[in-house]
Amino acid sequence: MSFPDEPLIVPHGDEKVAEGGNASEDIVAGIGRLIHSQPFAVLCTQGQGQPYGSLVAYAMDDDLCFASFATPRATRKFRLLSECDHVALLIDNRSEFPDELMKVEAVTATGRAALLEQGEDFDRWASLLSERHPYLARFVRSSSCGLFRVEIVRYLHVCRFQEVRQWIPGNHG
Amino acid sequence: MDPRQPWVVPLSAAADCPEELVGGKTAKLARARSAGLVVPSGFCVTTRAYKDFLAESRLSKSVAMELGRKPLEDMRWEEIWDTALRIRSEFLRAEIPDGIASTICLAVAEITRGPVAVRSSALGEDSAGFSFAGLHESVVGVSGEKAVLEAVRRVWASLWSDAALLYRRELSLDPMQSRMAVLVQEVIVEDRSGVAFGRDPRNLQSDCAIVEAVPGQCALLVDGAVDPDRWIIRRPTGKVVQWRGGVRDQPATDPLLEPKDLDNVFGLLTQVETLFGWPPDVEWTGRSSQLTLLQARPISTTEPDQKDNRSWYLSLRPGTRRLRDLAKRVSEDLIPKLEAEGVQFASEDLTSCSDDALADAVELRLDALHKWKKIYRDDFIPFAHGVRELGRYYNDAVHPDDPYEFVGLVKGQDMLASRRNRLFAQLAGNLRDNPMLKNRLTRLADRAASTAQTDWLQALQPLREIAGGDEFLDELQRLARDFMDITVGSKRLTDQAESILPNLLELAGSGPSSNREREHDETHDPQEVEARLLEAVGQGRRDEAIEVLRVGRLSWRLRDDDNLLVSRIESQLYRAVGLGVERLRAAGRLLKEGDLSEEAIPVIVDALRNRSQRTIELPLREASESKASVRSSVKPRQLVGQPAAPGIASGLVRMVKGPDSFAGLRSGQVLVCDAIQPMMTHLVPLASAVVERRGGMLIHGAIIARELGIPCVNGIVDAMNLLDDADFVTVDGNLGIVTVGPPEFDIELEVTSDGKN
Repeated sequence: MSFPDEPLIVPHGDEKVAEGGNASEDIVAGIGRLIHSQPFAVLCTQGQGQPYGSLVAYAMDDDLCFASFATPRATRKFRLLSECDHVALLIDNRSEFPDELMKVEAVTATGRAALLEQGEDFDRWASLLSERHPYLARFVRSSSCGLFRVEIVRYLHVCRFQEVRQWIPGNHG
Repeated sequence: MDPRQPWVVPLSAAADCPEELVGGKTAKLARARSAGLVVPSGFCVTTRAYKDFLAESRLSKSVAMELGRKPLEDMRWEEIWDTALRIRSEFLRAEIPDGIASTICLAVAEITRGPVAVRSSALGEDSAGFSFAGLHESVVGVSGEKAVLEAVRRVWASLWSDAALLYRRELSLDPMQSRMAVLVQEVIVEDRSGVAFGRDPRNLQSDCAIVEAVPGQCALLVDGAVDPDRWIIRRPTGKVVQWRGGVRDQPATDPLLEPKDLDNVFGLLTQVETLFGWPPDVEWTGRSSQLTLLQARPISTTEPDQKDNRSWYLSLRPGTRRLRDLAKRVSEDLIPKLEAEGVQFASEDLTSCSDDALADAVELRLDALHKWKKIYRDDFIPFAHGVRELGRYYNDAVHPDDPYEFVGLVKGQDMLASRRNRLFAQLAGNLRDNPMLKNRLTRLADRAASTAQTDWLQALQPLREIAGGDEFLDELQRLARDFMDITVGSKRLTDQAESILPNLLELAGSGPSSNREREHDETHDPQEVEARLLEAVGQGRRDEAIEVLRVGRLSWRLRDDDNLLVSRIESQLYRAVGLGVERLRAAGRLLKEGDLSEEAIPVIVDALRNRSQRTIELPLREASESKASVRSSVKPRQLVGQPAAPGIASGLVRMVKGPDSFAGLRSGQVLVCDAIQPMMTHLVPLASAVVERRGGMLIHGAIIARELGIPCVNGIVDAMNLLDDADFVTVDGNLGIVTVGPPEFDIELEVTSDGKN
């Protein structure tokens, strides 16, 4: 038996039925929107059992499979990346909603970082990073800087404080 | 404090204040007072006071958290009611800053030593654009400083009432921006009060005004507690066209108002219309020179939109008197009739009747089902509000930390479903204690499931050869007859040997109490919670509290029973329909089988009556499409719903989509379903946790899970899409979170640094 106190409160139009929809597309589009709106990420590395976080300027390719950032070779994070290429990037919009936790969105992207040598790939990613952060164009191509490309293995998207969905991009899914 | 934005403004000075500070109701009454109309003295607690109260208490963040938990569009009305209850509870527990509290108390002392009315004066309220009638709260007859401050908090909280949240778009509700002013006025006690409309609200073109009057306070009329006298007056002449006496204790023979009193009320209407430029809807009290204007607003002319359920939801909040009347009608008249009709239908032998008589029996049951579904909507659902009213009453009196502490008051009610579940547990216990019986039943279960639907008990007769078998079978028969004669979809559970027996055997195998550590809800012990309530209301309101408690408990119990009893009528309909189908099949007249849905019933009835019709085809219900695509590369990791029953449990998901999937539920699995209906609560003791799409703290699944100490998270909109059989989940009923899968890094570790898996 179906009971009349069942429908959702939808003032006009039909009841929103709990099936169908396109949750995949929504969440991927949501991740894309957040990434494109936030130029900086927290890069998470580790060494000697010690986690380490650094703010980096980054760029991402269109299908959200790879990210790129640059760092001077003398830094702690460069050394840590040479020892362990497992990384995470945290991207969020908390600065836009300091008083409204429920509106804050965050993405944690996990993956493997690789130092790019001079060549085609280097030029492509250096250009992408410089396009997004023109003020870093010289920094990115400096010989004392290392340019890294991160292959993203998994995204964890968090919204409404505790709602978490996972998206595995590219051929990892 | 900014002197241009005081916390309190006397009504005598409010006409000079912006509406943003004093709200719509205050602004209108202040203007009427300035124009010479008699208005009760009073003052306004301004929107500035609300803003400062919110800043001090940090309530705006709590409201934002509540409203942001889930899109309001995805919430059912019951969840919106829950949200409003939690917000209201926070407001009632928050302290009003000392400065504001003392300013309010001082202002009360300046206007009266008697009782006051504390009324909402929201921005835009009582404006021509939108009627706020009934969305916000007013508290009349408030005495004493503490009670006045409490009433002010209640009115502030009503900015976020369930009704207001339903109309959030029209009201532009925003936790960070919305403000509420409060109007506090002395209570004028007169022997006549009423409402009046500048034009007939049902037909604004009719050029007639309407006056209604009751003896005593206007609140009696507004709450619908007293039937008013009613006059229709021709506007151009002021002549009375019609008078109807109200139906009260005695039939009215003389009008409540003398002609000159009526003239005065009509004159008041004219003055208000001239002042504001719109035909008003006013509340008034007193006669002749004592005539006092209590409220003035434009007549609401919004036609109810047939597609808009919201006005229906708002009608599901009957006042105290209507609830009491409903309690009597539902418990003493409707439920006994409903039960008797089901028993009667079940006792009728349909197998030997003619085809015509069977067709008649089907139609009789279909008519009965339609009749009871209408009563369900008109009476049973509004009566279900009794338990919510009990919750509101309890929270107002006790101010508990947990706004759902009151559910302890409805715990352990002797509902039909509880009796069925006890019998289920007893039968499982019999099997556990009697291994020979259990083994024999296990062997016979397959045979029973494959026999004709209604004969499955016959297939179990060999059990009588075993010691204890007679008693077991008799009780099983009673279970099927008295408790499982119900439907889920159009399937009769009493026919479902293939689910009853596996569920029973599984329960017998899982032990008398599960090996899971279950958190029984110790804080919600019924006696303790009741004692807390009675202590909080004191001796003076003890009788009132006991009555609210009686109606609330009755409401909760019957709210569950009525589902099962209406379902039995439906089950009896499908018994008759099933017999009809069998006959048509046996006669070779059923060309195409289909679902036994309501659409098929006229076809079957017609075929039973019309034997010259050779063959028929039953309509097929459209199968719902597969939803596999959603689960592609996006997976849920944490789903958030309502923490409907406390505790944490992990297990493999079992999706229960209908009676066909009942049998597959294994002990310790996590039961995931659209909603636990009263028809399926016997499954819950098998589950380690429950997850539902349907949300609400007072819905059947939440209550039974709490009673059994099983964690429950409900209100997860996409639960049926995003979860699947055999997913490993952890259900956190304390926080309302369902975590999917273990916290692993498998894929990250598999990928090599050159990107290959």
